[in-house]
Amino acid sequence: MGAQRKSGLDLGLAISGWIYLLLGFIFLMLPIVTLIAFSFEEARFPTLPWTGWTLRWYQDLLTDGRLLQALGRSLIVSPMAAAAATAIGFLAAYALNRFDFRGKNLLSALFIVPILVPPLILGVAFLGLLSRLNLQGQLLSVFLTHIVILMPTAIALVGLRLAQMPKDLEEAAWNLGANEWQALHRVILPWAMPGIAGAWLLAFTFSFDEFIIAWFVSGFEPTLPVSIYTFLGANLNPSLNAIGTIVFSISVLLLIGVELLLLPLVLKPASTP
Amino acid sequence: MTKEALALLQEASAETAHDLQICGVSKQYGTVPVLDTIDLQVKAGEFIAIMGPSGCGKTTLLRILAGLESMTAGEIWFQGKDITHLPVHQRHTPMVWQSFALFPHLNVEQNIAFGLTLRAHRKPEVQQKVREVVAMLHLDPLLKRRISQLSGGQKQRVAIARALITEPKVLLLDEPMSALDPHLRVRMQGELKRLQQSLGISFIYVTHNQNEAFSMADRVVVMNQGRIEQVGTPADIYSRPATHFIAEFVGNNNLFDGEVIALDQNRVTVHCPQGTLRSNWHDRCPQLGDRVTIVVPADRVSLDSPDHPNENKITATLRGLEFMGSQMIYFLETDTGYEVRVIRQETLDHSSAISINSRLQLGWRTQDTVLLGERIESGHNHGQ
Amino acid sequence: MVSKQLSLSTAPAPVRRLPQETSFLKYLCLAPAVIYDSVFFLLPLIFLVWIGFWSVENYRAVPGFSLANYLDIFSQFFERSRYAFAIAQSLWVAFSTTALGIFLCYPFAMALVFLVPERLQRLLLVLSITPFWTSYILRLYAWQTILNNNGLLNRLLMQLNWTKAPLQIMFTQWGTRLGLLHYLAPIIILILYLVLRNTDRTLLGAARNLGATQWQTFWRVILPLSKSGIVYSAIFGLIITLGDVLSGTILGGGTGQSILGKFPLFSSMILNEYSASTNLPRTSALATLLIGIMIVILAAGFKLARSER
Repeated sequence: MGAQRKSGLDLGLAISGWIYLLLGFIFLMLPIVTLIAFSFEEARFPTLPWTGWTLRWYQDLLTDGRLLQALGRSLIVSPMAAAAATAIGFLAAYALNRFDFRGKNLLSALFIVPILVPPLILGVAFLGLLSRLNLQGQLLSVFLTHIVILMPTAIALVGLRLAQMPKDLEEAAWNLGANEWQALHRVILPWAMPGIAGAWLLAFTFSFDEFIIAWFVSGFEPTLPVSIYTFLGANLNPSLNAIGTIVFSISVLLLIGVELLLLPLVLKPASTP
Repeated sequence: MTKEALALLQEASAETAHDLQICGVSKQYGTVPVLDTIDLQVKAGEFIAIMGPSGCGKTTLLRILAGLESMTAGEIWFQGKDITHLPVHQRHTPMVWQSFALFPHLNVEQNIAFGLTLRAHRKPEVQQKVREVVAMLHLDPLLKRRISQLSGGQKQRVAIARALITEPKVLLLDEPMSALDPHLRVRMQGELKRLQQSLGISFIYVTHNQNEAFSMADRVVVMNQGRIEQVGTPADIYSRPATHFIAEFVGNNNLFDGEVIALDQNRVTVHCPQGTLRSNWHDRCPQLGDRVTIVVPADRVSLDSPDHPNENKITATLRGLEFMGSQMIYFLETDTGYEVRVIRQETLDHSSAISINSRLQLGWRTQDTVLLGERIESGHNHGQ
Repeated sequence: MVSKQLSLSTAPAPVRRLPQETSFLKYLCLAPAVIYDSVFFLLPLIFLVWIGFWSVENYRAVPGFSLANYLDIFSQFFERSRYAFAIAQSLWVAFSTTALGIFLCYPFAMALVFLVPERLQRLLLVLSITPFWTSYILRLYAWQTILNNNGLLNRLLMQLNWTKAPLQIMFTQWGTRLGLLHYLAPIIILILYLVLRNTDRTLLGAARNLGATQWQTFWRVILPLSKSGIVYSAIFGLIITLGDVLSGTILGGGTGQSILGKFPLFSSMILNEYSASTNLPRTSALATLLIGIMIVILAAGFKLARSER
């Protein structure tokens, strides 16, 4: 009798749990689905009921061109900033992994700080410095400033991968005659590749989507998020749905890459290569 | 022998081709001693096994030789040169790692060739060397395989090939068999020994497994708690253990502690709780009243001896048996509660099955015993 | 060959370092990160605080040290620019959103860990994190079309006859909260998922074995063990929401209505002030003020965490 009651409670709990999950996923996915769906819908003010299929919003993107230009800029600056941050981050992560020295913990903590400071504050700060150096208002400004906020993630992720490296791998390389540089680029770097690739993808995503800092420093060469913002203010333009769908597709590609490379690092603590 | 005397002797006999000399190597972690004044000479072409329980410092010593760990005192000389302060990659002391440490992003061929590709090289020459080493270790069909596709035994051979391709004069091995299946280990022991002899270089082999050490090595170094207990051929160590630790760690020995009550030309009579026993002494003549230990190998003790009288006799009760294939271990208990072990070769038609709890007479010859001085540290007591 | 005389001491031995421990490579590898952070992170922040003390003459910023900006800000604190109310609004929205986010995401993460079969967990987790990979600003635009007065939600509700007049969500801080929640949810779910996943199952089994009900097991075993996850989520949530601009502007309409009244968020205010006046010293002073508020909150948070131990 008691056991039956308990299993009834468990079943009730389970059902409500699954319903909650479903509702949660609906909440999470709703805007994305809406975006994609309405990018093909006829009406100017997307709402129910459905009026018809069209590709004209995608055509509007092409004819207007501003959003596509901004997309192009983002596709240039984000991968480059991600690459630079990952390169600097790899070297730092390697040094932190291999060497022990006084103040190491403090340095590791300091490397994380840039990601903790709200981008709003950083945006104002960057603008202050860059305008003194006359480096503001260009795509270069976005490149320089994004590296700062991308580095902590790169250091953390590459560091995670390096922490899984068997210690005798580097020692074996030295033992066979490799000096430090040779061991670094012929043994450590190949090992760290999944972490480096994952870090690059993640950094790319962060930079691609970053609004506030870009708003302050990009000036007349706006990145995509900044461009979208001006559009939002001006008019309710359904071609935003179109650009949104394009951006989402890019994000999905990146996400697949991240899922393949990064999640194994996070979910499994110490594993083989 | 003091360092100065040693130096003079070496200067005098220049033919003594010692490849490796370890002089006074010590290592402390803060105030905890890990290695205490290790002195060892390894001859060219010698197979040395460093054996001991875990924590004795054998792997630390090996890593110090390779330059992977620091020492707090001492020097290492290799072929007449002081390599104490040389960095790892310049020492030319390749190691075969316990985990093999093969590079996962390279295939077998690239792993093996690694050492050669670090310096200016020509591809055909490297390929030739790889082929030679691969033939020597029977790795021909595996050249293009990924490391993850190899079995344990194959990985070990790749690790050895990788180490040997640079033609070192000494090879370091850190428990390379521990990751292999037992039946594979025995086969590899023979192959490893043959390899070493055909190459004519020194092997320094670290293990905690007695069988490996004794079957392959020219000389065995037994270590315990950071110190060398004894260095000698396997036969030496087995039949003439120099310390209590070795007598208990190596082989299967019975130890009887007692007091010297009579002296002879080269024999002593010792009064032990289990009875009055005799032993031969070799190095140092004991005094009357000295506390000593008589070591009797378990396979030198015979059960029930009606016709062949033995000089040493004790009585004990059979408590247990252990079947070991071709041998049987008998566990007996003396009247004083002391455990004695007897190992006997069992033939198939041995009809006399001895029943548990039967009282037996045990005996052995004095010439089969070894005498040790007073027990210094109580490592573990059998109990009296 | 001569071997040298050695003297061994039994005192704590002098440290002999290996060549590879004192390698120059260490500095070479750390240098790029350290230099870059110093020049492009520390320097701008220090500069920011300093610029807050500059003055403006003839629409140009003049270096110097004056409290003019701060005096100006505080003189308008309750009137005209109403900075005080904006700060209050920001704090209110930040705390309520973070609390709500943790409260809503916790059951979700629990369902993922304890309800979903192992093989599906990874897939569902990835799906939960997906929104994080899409454009934040575009998601907010999508929410706009959904939450509008004649947007999806209201149309649906009115067609189902659940309400007569359209629900006003846009231009209120509820709209802001929705946007912020959508931003925070994937991360909080991930943090809580990882923490809950590491809960020692044997402890749960032991609790049940001792007679605990489901609720008791949750309240007295699972929840306390997941405290670190909750704390991280809270810190993360607060910092993000205090610094966020987009939700408040796009969904909250700039000066969204809340219990406190119709005030903008302090963050949006900073952005709008700058775009209106491009007065960098003033904006820097406001930003410095925000930094101060955040430090106070963080310090209070750490004190709270430590006092609970």
